[in-house]
Amino acid sequence: MRRASPTHHRRCGLRGVRLRAGAAVLTTLVLVGCASNARLAELARPLQLPAVVELDSTPFHPQSEQQCGPAALATVLEAAGHAAPLDRLQREIFVPGRQGSLQPELVAAIRARGLLPYEPGGDLGELIAELAAGHPVLVLQKQGFGPWPAWHYAVAIGYDSGRGTVLLRSGTTERLELRATVFDATWGRAERWALVVLEPGRMPARPDLERYLRAAASLEAVGQLDAARAAFAAAADHWPDQPMPRLGLANIDAARGRWSEAERGYRAVLALEPRLAAALNNRAEALSRLGCHEAARHVLERGAAQIDPEDPLRPALSRTLADIEARAAVAEAADPDVCARLGQH
Amino acid sequence: MLFRKAVVYALCLAVFNLGSPLVARAELVGTLQAVEAGTRAEDLATVSAALAKQEVREQMAALGVDPADIDARVARLTDTELRTLADRMGEMPAGGDALAVIGIVFVVLVILELVGVIDIFKKT
Repeated sequence: MRRASPTHHRRCGLRGVRLRAGAAVLTTLVLVGCASNARLAELARPLQLPAVVELDSTPFHPQSEQQCGPAALATVLEAAGHAAPLDRLQREIFVPGRQGSLQPELVAAIRARGLLPYEPGGDLGELIAELAAGHPVLVLQKQGFGPWPAWHYAVAIGYDSGRGTVLLRSGTTERLELRATVFDATWGRAERWALVVLEPGRMPARPDLERYLRAAASLEAVGQLDAARAAFAAAADHWPDQPMPRLGLANIDAARGRWSEAERGYRAVLALEPRLAAALNNRAEALSRLGCHEAARHVLERGAAQIDPEDPLRPALSRTLADIEARAAVAEAADPDVCARLGQH
Repeated sequence: MLFRKAVVYALCLAVFNLGSPLVARAELVGTLQAVEAGTRAEDLATVSAALAKQEVREQMAALGVDPADIDARVARLTDTELRTLADRMGEMPAGGDALAVIGIVFVVLVILELVGVIDIFKKT
């Protein structure tokens, strides 16, 4: 096996300086602060993961000065089948005054391509589970020390639990083999921030409901409705008892003006969670859009009595009620029989 | 009578154009807002999204982002991300910023080498 020594690793933002010595000292500093071993084998075995994983088809984009963000992003995008030119990514995420790139903009650049940026929860076990599932993982590392932190993006592409190492595409090094302890220390100092790029509809290796939903709902929030719908549908399959993925599906229908489908969707959500303020509010809105103002008002009034007084969405319900009453005054009402059927539920 | 009608219509139009809250489109609660309402009850909207967006625009310009790119970059961020950036754009981790550290480490090493504490620059 070819070994890439960490001393050949050139960091983000560095040009022309041979880093033998610097890296040796940094490594020492990191090791001093980290006595315990990250035991990869002990993590891999109970999860039934392979002992060795290397996603060697992951492309390599050596970074130029300060461009580890665009380079790491290009790597994970291309690995997911969405190649993007580096100079383009640089214009999308690089912040000259900070001499680097910021996490929310990396996430947004993935989203803008209709892909789901999922943030694995931040332990080594979850990282290697993603790798074993075939997902290269973009990671943030904090190098440097004391008042001179240095933030670096790299892409984890594998691990070797026998050798206790993690493999990375990093900076100008195509295959950096880092001791898992060293990697975990630098990663840990960056709050173990990690990112995988998923085709919407695909699940991460160990999906967490809240983090997955946040990513899917963010797709919706920026208008990537097709991608959001696919992600919500996958989540509704994976967590059939959870109301939020179905709320997402109904919200996509509503965003497309399909009020009747949306209303049915909200009803399904409320069957799972009768006091979910967002679903009550949106169902009322959908009913009102269908011309059933009376039924809508009824849903809201009943809902207001049911939801938690501290619910942060309570003001939204009052606003919606006012809007519905205003609309009822000017818009035509639908067939009372139709509304009676809808309102019964 | 006709005049009165005309005035009423004109006023109605004006009201619509002004986007008066009375006739404004009710906002659906987006899924992201619903997820966030369920996970953290803290003040969700201390800073309005519009204000945060403006703040991020200004900071990007100040940090040297090409003005031609700013609108597109801001448009793809969620309200939560905009608020985070508006608050912390200047000091949050910016992957890429390693020059100073490396320089300092290098200088320290050279000094240690020169005074004979370490001996790592020798060719082996």
